[in-house]
Amino acid sequence: MTDDMNEADYKELKRGGMMRQAEAGLFSVRLHVIGGRLATPQLRAIREAADRFGRGEIHLTSRQGVEIPHVPQDALAAVKEFLAPSGVGVGVCGPTVRTVTACQGCRVCPSGVIDSPELAEAVDRELYGKPVPHKFKVGISGCVNNCMKAEENDVGIKGWIEPRWEAPSCTFCGVCQAVCPTKAISTSEDGGALIIDPTLCIGCGDCITSCPAGNMREKIRGYRVFAGGKFGRRPSLGRRILGVLRTKEEAMAAILAVLDFFREQGKPRERFGDTLQRTGFPALETFVKEKTGLP
Amino acid sequence: MTTPTLDITGDVCPMTFVKVKMGLQRVPPLGTLSVRLKEDALKNVISSLKTEGHRVTNVSQEDGVFLLEVTKAG
Repeated sequence: MTDDMNEADYKELKRGGMMRQAEAGLFSVRLHVIGGRLATPQLRAIREAADRFGRGEIHLTSRQGVEIPHVPQDALAAVKEFLAPSGVGVGVCGPTVRTVTACQGCRVCPSGVIDSPELAEAVDRELYGKPVPHKFKVGISGCVNNCMKAEENDVGIKGWIEPRWEAPSCTFCGVCQAVCPTKAISTSEDGGALIIDPTLCIGCGDCITSCPAGNMREKIRGYRVFAGGKFGRRPSLGRRILGVLRTKEEAMAAILAVLDFFREQGKPRERFGDTLQRTGFPALETFVKEKTGLP
Repeated sequence: MTTPTLDITGDVCPMTFVKVKMGLQRVPPLGTLSVRLKEDALKNVISSLKTEGHRVTNVSQEDGVFLLEVTKAG
């Protein structure tokens, strides 16, 4: 049954989420999952499909995906058809925008700063499966605790609190400086002001939480963008670009502009992090700022 | 009346938080409690005090130890 398949056919199947297994004739069927969230009817359908077309096994992938392994090639169309009515789509592979990962975000997690699943859904709607020079991964962490490992992704987002110091009742007690994990807060030379170094600040908001007098306030409760991260054979961490963004729409605009840059500058089969090694991060930042008008 | 002092410099979270809570039980509303603590405990102790409506009315430092003056909620 696999005799008439050539490499091009396999590539096409792979792009459509059907992953050829080591054992000839069998495929692992990758499903479309957004931010690791599935409704129970979807899970029931997946279970049923794994029993019916696979070997009753389900694989949870490293990026919140779900695959049904051991599906014979002649059952691939049937699995797809079986899952569709329950709202379970088949996934993607190859040089495309991959599964968008997300934590539970501020609607569930007490630490959450942004609604990560909401942004994940928006990114998925706009970009999932779209062609790019090489695989492209987007991950969204609701806060700087960074459960979704923003810096491991081609584009990562983190919920971020940018603090602002307000003078009136500050007693310079030193608590904010003591709790700051990166020692980003210093006293001005004349001792009359506190200065927050934005390059050191990691957006945790600990200074705000700890300030006894309420002199540290939230300037922006928003989104921070990281670009160029990857793991695999030669891991590298994404770096932060742009200022702290205020809205989901701004974050989305930034992500779209980053992808435009990759489409313009990336070579086929070159990961985005490697593209940035060639172009430098400033080129990306300039491009995105000009394209979007973001800070 | 002298302000009672609670020393939690030898404690770690969550005992820091528990001891401050217990300490405040012995203080009347709007009364004050002094708390001696280390830098590591500052964030959790102050944020929980604020959440429960108490106020940190003074902060001083000596030799890396912080002394908080806490005014209990009314």
